[in-house]
Amino acid sequence: MTDSAPHLDDLIESDDPERERLQSVHDLLVAAGAPPELPPSLQSPPEEPRARVIPLPRRRYTAIAAVAIVACALFGLGYAIGGRDKPQSPVKTIAMSGPTGATASILLQPIDEAGNWPMLLDVKGLPELPKGETYTLWLTRKGKLADPCGTFLTGASSSSIWLNAPYKLKEYDGWVVVRTGSAKPFLLRTDTV
Amino acid sequence: MASALALPLLSRSRTATIDRVSDEEATDGELIERVAARERDAFEQLYARFARPVLGLALRRLRDRGRAEDSVQEVFAAVWRSAGSYDRARGAGGAWLYTIARNAIVDAQRRRHAPTVADPPEVVSTALTPDEEAEASWDAWRVHRALETLPEHERAVIDLAYFSGLSQSEVAGFLQIPLGTVKTRTRSGLARLADALEGEL
Repeated sequence: MTDSAPHLDDLIESDDPERERLQSVHDLLVAAGAPPELPPSLQSPPEEPRARVIPLPRRRYTAIAAVAIVACALFGLGYAIGGRDKPQSPVKTIAMSGPTGATASILLQPIDEAGNWPMLLDVKGLPELPKGETYTLWLTRKGKLADPCGTFLTGASSSSIWLNAPYKLKEYDGWVVVRTGSAKPFLLRTDTV
Repeated sequence: MASALALPLLSRSRTATIDRVSDEEATDGELIERVAARERDAFEQLYARFARPVLGLALRRLRDRGRAEDSVQEVFAAVWRSAGSYDRARGAGGAWLYTIARNAIVDAQRRRHAPTVADPPEVVSTALTPDEEAEASWDAWRVHRALETLPEHERAVIDLAYFSGLSQSEVAGFLQIPLGTVKTRTRSGLARLADALEGEL
C-alpha cells in the first residue's frame, strides 16, 4: 500500500457488516493503482479493422511458386519414369540380324563420366524363351563371347531394353545376343564396334 | 445491499415484446458475440469498457507509453478479427478479452523489441516473480474493468480517494458535496466493485 492510499477505516464504519468483503476490494484497488487515462488518439476505437486478406500479388506469387514446384515434381517424375525411353541422339546405331529373321538395333548413347556406355536395344522377332530363361547381349572379341552387357526378356513382338556396356568398346570387335548360358547366337553383328 | 441493487431490475415494467438489451446492459460476452457478427456499436461499447484496462495492461507489460498506446490498437484489431472464436460456455468475455490482449501485447513486445547492442541491459525486477506479476496483471485488469461499471458519481469519489490521494473531507470540498454523501458514495462504490469482481463481468 502506498503512502497516499486511503485507509479503509477512514472510508467505512468499523462495524460495517460487509467490512471483510470491502476490505478485499480496497486492497485490490490499492494494488491495481489508477487505470491510465486514454490519450486523445485512443478516445475512440480504431476504424473497422480490415480482415487479413493475403494481398493479390502474394497470392499470385504463391500460385506461381506452387505451379513451379508441381511442374518440377512432374518433370522429375516424368524423367525418372519415362525420360530414359527417349534416348539422346545416339553416338552410334548398330544393326543386328539373326538366322531366324529377328532383327535388332543398338542405340549407343554417349559415354558418361564413369565410363558407362548406356544403350537402348530394340529387338524384334526374337522367339519367346521358356519361363525362367533370358537372353544376354555380349560384346565379342575374335568370335568369342567377351563381356556381357546385360540380360533381358522379350515379348511376343518387340521389346526395348536399356542395357549398359561398362567397358572400353575399342577392345571388342562385335555384338551378339545369345540365350543366357549358351553360345548359340540369335542376333549377330560382327562389324567393328 | 444485494436486494437493494436488484430492486430496479425487479420493478422494471414488462413489455409485450422482448427488447434487445442495450449496449450498456449487455454483458462483455454478449458484446463479443455481436462483434463477431460485425456490429460496430458493440465494438465501440466493448472499446469503451476495455480501452483503459488494455492500456493499463500494456503499460504494465511494455513499460513504454508510446508502444503501449500502439498496442491498444493492435489488441482491438485482434478482438475484431478473433471475436468469432469466443465461446460463452468456456468463460466470461472479460477473461477471453484479457487473453487476447495479453497475447497481442506479448506479440508486440517480441516483434518490436529486437535487442541491439545499444539497448541497456534489462533490469530484472526483484519485486515480483513472473507468476506474481501475472496474477497482479490479471487483478489489475479486473479492477480496472470493474471501475468502468461504476456510476459516474461513485467513480469520481473512488478515483479521488484512491488515485488522487485526497482525504474524504478534501473529496467533499473538491466535489462540493457533503462529507456524508462522500462516505455513502464511497461505500456503495466499493460494494458495487465487490459485486462486479465476484460476479462475471
